[in-house]
Amino acid sequence: MTWIFRGKVAFVLKLVILLLLVSVLGTLTQSAIAQGEYFIGGFLALTILLLAITYLTKVSIPLKFFLPGILLLVAFVLSPILYTVTMSGFNYKTGNQISKEEAILQVQNRGFEGDENGTTFDIKIGRSNLQEAILVSDITNNSYFLSTVADRVPLNPQDLTINEYGVATTAPNFAPLQDSELAAADKSFSLKRFKYQDEFFIALEGYEVGIVSRQVLAYDAQSDQFKNIISGAVYVDNGRGNYALPDDPNSYLEPGWRAPIWFENYTKLFTDERVRGPLITVFIWTIMFASLSVLTTFALGLLLALALNKPMRGRRIYRSILVLPYAMPSIMSILIWGGMFNTEFGAINTLLGTDIAWFQSELFAKTAIIVVNLWLGFPYFYLVSSGALQAIPDELLEAAAIDGANPRQIFRQITLPLLLRILSPLLIASFAFNFNNFNLIYLLTGGGPINSLDGELAGATDILISFTYKIAFGSSVQDLGLASAISLVIFLIVASISLYGIRKSKVLESFQ
Amino acid sequence: MTRWLRNYAWRHAIIIAVCLFSLFPLYLVVISSFNPNGSLQLSSFIPREISFDNYKLLFNDPTIPYLTWVKNSLVIAGSAAVLSVTIGSASAFAFSRLYFKGRKTGIQLLLLVQMFPAILAISAVYVIMERVYTFAPAIGLGSQAGLLLIYLGGAMGVNIWLLKGFVDSIPKDLDEAAKIDGASAVQIYWLIFMPLAAPVLAVVALLTFIGTFNEFILARLFLVEMESRTVAVGLQQFIGGQYSENWGPFAAGSILASIPIVTIFLSLQKYIVNGLTAGSVKG
Repeated sequence: MTWIFRGKVAFVLKLVILLLLVSVLGTLTQSAIAQGEYFIGGFLALTILLLAITYLTKVSIPLKFFLPGILLLVAFVLSPILYTVTMSGFNYKTGNQISKEEAILQVQNRGFEGDENGTTFDIKIGRSNLQEAILVSDITNNSYFLSTVADRVPLNPQDLTINEYGVATTAPNFAPLQDSELAAADKSFSLKRFKYQDEFFIALEGYEVGIVSRQVLAYDAQSDQFKNIISGAVYVDNGRGNYALPDDPNSYLEPGWRAPIWFENYTKLFTDERVRGPLITVFIWTIMFASLSVLTTFALGLLLALALNKPMRGRRIYRSILVLPYAMPSIMSILIWGGMFNTEFGAINTLLGTDIAWFQSELFAKTAIIVVNLWLGFPYFYLVSSGALQAIPDELLEAAAIDGANPRQIFRQITLPLLLRILSPLLIASFAFNFNNFNLIYLLTGGGPINSLDGELAGATDILISFTYKIAFGSSVQDLGLASAISLVIFLIVASISLYGIRKSKVLESFQ
Repeated sequence: MTRWLRNYAWRHAIIIAVCLFSLFPLYLVVISSFNPNGSLQLSSFIPREISFDNYKLLFNDPTIPYLTWVKNSLVIAGSAAVLSVTIGSASAFAFSRLYFKGRKTGIQLLLLVQMFPAILAISAVYVIMERVYTFAPAIGLGSQAGLLLIYLGGAMGVNIWLLKGFVDSIPKDLDEAAKIDGASAVQIYWLIFMPLAAPVLAVVALLTFIGTFNEFILARLFLVEMESRTVAVGLQQFIGGQYSENWGPFAAGSILASIPIVTIFLSLQKYIVNGLTAGSVKG
């Protein structure tokens, strides 16, 4: 066997794999940099360098073992975390998602207005000498012309085909686009400014109408300002990702860009009533939900473990049935429970003979969540409690019995404290898990009931993580900056809970 | 008889009650899957008619690429399991057996990083993959390969940690003896550690497989194309959104997709539970 790891075969094999990887990564690096993604390109280049150094030289043997794992961790875990940290310092939300350069470009592109009379023309779009061109029919003045970005050519009506509405449809040296070509050509036409006269140009409004327009917003790179040529109003960088009027912060130009606002997303959590209010209620429910979940699942699991802690008939089959909820893919189970709680045709209402709209009322929705989580979670605690029960030495219990303790006393004063000590890291871990039990909330109630008419951000059963998800990916406003800030706060909470748990379980003992 | 009552009756009573609780939803799914009406209804405990329409729909309706979804799930979860264990075990070996500067810090950092719940970084992952898409669509947003890479990265922390715990428990004398005989670290890894670790690697791979199979949010956010969806995302569509409340096919699809998972789980119960408790750090 050892020959595989020595000699030429191994070396050639290694070289081939390495070459393959490097060439794939090299191509990626190139295209990343070509697209202007310097961070990603840089990371890829560094990866190539590290791979080559590690596997072609003998700089470090440990590195040969953990480099692939570390690279993956850095790429898909560590860098998203760092990115989250960065985003939390930015005004990064709907309307402020692009870079400043792009924003300036877009503001300029959108910064035109029609003339005083709102003149519009009927047009046909097509090509002339391979350039995008429009055939314009000024019906009121009975004049026709062909307009490209650079040029405007008056046409003689006799050379044209004119339909019953007075609109020219063909002209010499002009190839109109077929209907089937329109959609594909949309991009190259929609932003074009076709020549008209003086400072006026024709902008397209759909495929058949052109509006006589002129640029009203002018960008001055030197002072970094936008000026409205007609009204004279000056829009300045408001430091928060928009050009706005200095004396009226609410009139700003769209779109904005993602601008650094440092700790504003964090201070918002405490000062902005629209965020703070829901955040507090959500936080309280998160704690309640996680505690109740741990409590109920542990209690039922322990009860079962105690009940099954004796050799008895049917033990094996009981065990298999009890573990079933844990073995089922949880996604499916949650969705099924969602259906069972349906008001009209759900099994729960039929079974209870009730007519409860479970997900419409806060209390019922919360009850449903706890019941479903009990179903999902009790088998785990049954399994670990059985294990822990067996780990308690029999002599202890026997000694207590000899001393005259009754079974209840033995349980309360010996078994339970010992169990809690053995299981406390698992209980804490379960709390941390439920604290972020996104799937359950998202799939069962979607965080509802929610009063979205009032513009509420959080539903009654939203926990912190589903609330954050709503802020980041919600339907109305997506605020990635704020969501990132909340994410980091949650991380701090969960990390402290987990660290406390780990310290208890003394996993880190060997490194201390 | 009275002794039996006192000692055992309550046990059986409790256990049977909980068994009913745990079986109830599963029973409903099974009868719904045979119910042609397509609702998750409890009209009677015994189904009046048994039809296989829902199952047929899954395999015959061209707008429902069920088999493709299952295949996608198996491929993604399978690759995630195999690759993450392969890569993770090498890292675990290094962290446990080889001595180098920054090892302790590395391990602590690993622990800290895996505490950051993956879903919180979701917006960052999304933006990053959106950017990757602009120059490499094959591994960017919307691609299964990209999703797999994210799963691999996400599973790395937990798996390295789990496997490291196992490597720690292998007696050091073994590899020291091999070292004296002239074996290199690479040889010790392949010839001593790998054969010993095979059962544990299998369990960790299995846990990763189940975890990935169960993953929903990233898969839903990422895989937009009907054909590239995983089974969890695909089935969810039956009951949320475009198919409205179509419980029959959902139930049938869920049952078929769950059977392999449940079977594996029940047959390897003992090992999986051991793995779970060993990894109790994460929960």
